[in-house]
Amino acid sequence: MPSFRGLRLVAAVAVVGSLTTACGLGGSSDETGGSSASGKGPLKGTVTFETLQLKPTFTKYVEGVIGDFEKKNPGVKVKWIDIPFQGAQEKLTADAGAGTLPDVVNLNPQFAQPLENKGLFVDMDSAAAKIKGDYVPGAWKAFTVPGRPGSYGIPWYLTSEVTMYNKGLFKKAGLDTAKPPTTFDDLLADGKALSEAGKGSFYGIHPALENRFITDLAKQGVPLLDADGKKWTFNTPEAAAYLAKLVKAYKGGVYPKDSLTQDHSKETEAYQAGNIGLFPSGPNFLTIIKQNAPKIAEATGVGPQITGPEGITNMSVMGLLVPKASKNQRAALAFASYMANSKNQLAFSKIVTVLPSVSKALENPYFTAEGDGSVDAQARRISAEQIAKAQSLVPVQYDDRVKQAVLAKIQLALQGKLGPKKALDEAVAAADAVTAH
Amino acid sequence: MTGRRWYVPWLFLAPALAVAITFFIVPFGNTAVLSLTDASTLGGGHFTGLDNFRRLAHDDQFWLSLRNTALYLVIVVPLVVTLPLLVALLVQRRIAGIGFFRAVYYSPVVASMVVAGLIWSWLLSSDGMVNSLLRGLHVVTEPIPFLTDAHWLLAGAMAMTVWKGLGYYMVIYLAALANVPRSLLEAAEVDGAGAVRRFWHVTVPLLRPTMILVATLAAIACAKVFAEVYTLSGGSAGPGGEARTLVYTIRETGLGLGGEAGYASAMSLALFVATLGLSVLVTRLNSREEQA
Repeated sequence: MPSFRGLRLVAAVAVVGSLTTACGLGGSSDETGGSSASGKGPLKGTVTFETLQLKPTFTKYVEGVIGDFEKKNPGVKVKWIDIPFQGAQEKLTADAGAGTLPDVVNLNPQFAQPLENKGLFVDMDSAAAKIKGDYVPGAWKAFTVPGRPGSYGIPWYLTSEVTMYNKGLFKKAGLDTAKPPTTFDDLLADGKALSEAGKGSFYGIHPALENRFITDLAKQGVPLLDADGKKWTFNTPEAAAYLAKLVKAYKGGVYPKDSLTQDHSKETEAYQAGNIGLFPSGPNFLTIIKQNAPKIAEATGVGPQITGPEGITNMSVMGLLVPKASKNQRAALAFASYMANSKNQLAFSKIVTVLPSVSKALENPYFTAEGDGSVDAQARRISAEQIAKAQSLVPVQYDDRVKQAVLAKIQLALQGKLGPKKALDEAVAAADAVTAH
Repeated sequence: MTGRRWYVPWLFLAPALAVAITFFIVPFGNTAVLSLTDASTLGGGHFTGLDNFRRLAHDDQFWLSLRNTALYLVIVVPLVVTLPLLVALLVQRRIAGIGFFRAVYYSPVVASMVVAGLIWSWLLSSDGMVNSLLRGLHVVTEPIPFLTDAHWLLAGAMAMTVWKGLGYYMVIYLAALANVPRSLLEAAEVDGAGAVRRFWHVTVPLLRPTMILVATLAAIACAKVFAEVYTLSGGSAGPGGEARTLVYTIRETGLGLGGEAGYASAMSLALFVATLGLSVLVTRLNSREEQA
């Protein structure tokens, strides 16, 4: 059932992508993983490893790495648990409350932060100090908590958004198929041209507010949060001007009507169905599009990430965290650093278009050359180039509850029920209220 | 009976009592305690007295949820009391193939709410079947924003609740109708009463207790409505969350990492009191009418 698998993957990666959009080759100098943890003697015991919806697409890869680790450390048995993204927060909350978090947890910074804030995880700055220098600094930094020393996760994989577009629909709209948009204004202009050409049968863009709104503000230099990490600050005139453009686009029919409250998974579905022409998203989605909609994949071109005037680009990070409560912390640390080492991350990046978080692995010609000239190779090169200067732009405080409070106001603005400035002011107030509690 | 030991009845009661204590009484007590704290879903929390309830009084989202839930109740309960009765009257007749129709009306009851929600959201989307039909018949020129307007979204959710409950309440009414003595109906017929008068003056009075039961069940279900709104709106409760219901807000506040367990517990208690009040009100009204 390829389409069903695909859908699950889309759902998984949609969220993962929005949170992590990055894959890293945890290129560590410690290929056995054993020496990075403190303590002496061979490792032993059981390590439970929890991932976010990697089954079934990546079962073979993950089981392969686990098998290799167990071979190198015969005393250790790794028990892999994969949980669906839906309900992951609830499960993590329950596990954290009951003190039964797995020994190694795969999380993105936004998911990890409430737990990190409670001091539940091992500080990797000291526990994995030996390998810290191997990782892309921005990725390592993603697991720090404002106002708290240390960093609580080993970056695993990274993604950096690219702009995918349907060349067939571009042709129908009279747009240059070799020239995807690169700025927000271009994106809206091309989106408008596409929607006008589609006359309701296809549209230019999906707003996917849940995935992009706050990131897009950050890319345009809008400050999101104050230095203390307590007060939101994105109600600036620049942000209001940008929101006004989105309002105009929604009113002008650039977006599908029902898209207002839809998330990134619906955007992915719409692109795969040929209903939208532009799809700014993690390059890992190319794999999914290929699986679910081969014809759309054939027509897909890829361009660099949409940026503002300063060219700021975003990356998303996925990490591996070890709870302090782990009964087998030494083996857990060893396994986490092994999973995220250079070799294993490089192998993962060859299965799906994600990037390694290990600097050395990123220099591999695989990421710098166009290779076979395929769309995947182009996407890989573009996103690898972007990673060098990309940052994780969304603060960890922008968790699900803050996001919901903010988007509620933005949706009302798009409907014309609130003016852009008022909507942003109210969004900031609502976000402050959530963050304060 | 004299030989029986005092604890024997308790042994029979024990399993049900254990379930009730474990899954209802203890969690309820826990909720009551939590409502007086600022606990998060990750534990912890300090005693804050009635702060949560004071906060509720000024929480716009809470009042919006309450208003939507009340609206749901006022519109859905009368529909759920009357429509299934009419359907039950239709399928009560013993004619060939009636079993098929009964099964058809009952089938939404067994359908999963999530599946039903998906189907309804396809039907009601801007390019869905309902809008295509309305546009095809030139009833509307622009698609109706069933999924992107809070009022339409609530109306869609209400329609879904009625559709989903129709079969269930129909079965309750069928059982009640079977208990209406034929002799009374025949006597009324002999006295010259037509079908409408027989229904109004014989069947309805005899069905009153059942109608009260259905109204109570439907009111409690409406007070707790969540799945319809959640599935139809893809989890968003519409733009700005304007179609939120009480349970939706409780879930949004109290679940997930960093959720406010204390505040959500206070909301849950408010919901409990409202539901209890509603049940008492319906029962009181009923007993007063019976006395009169």
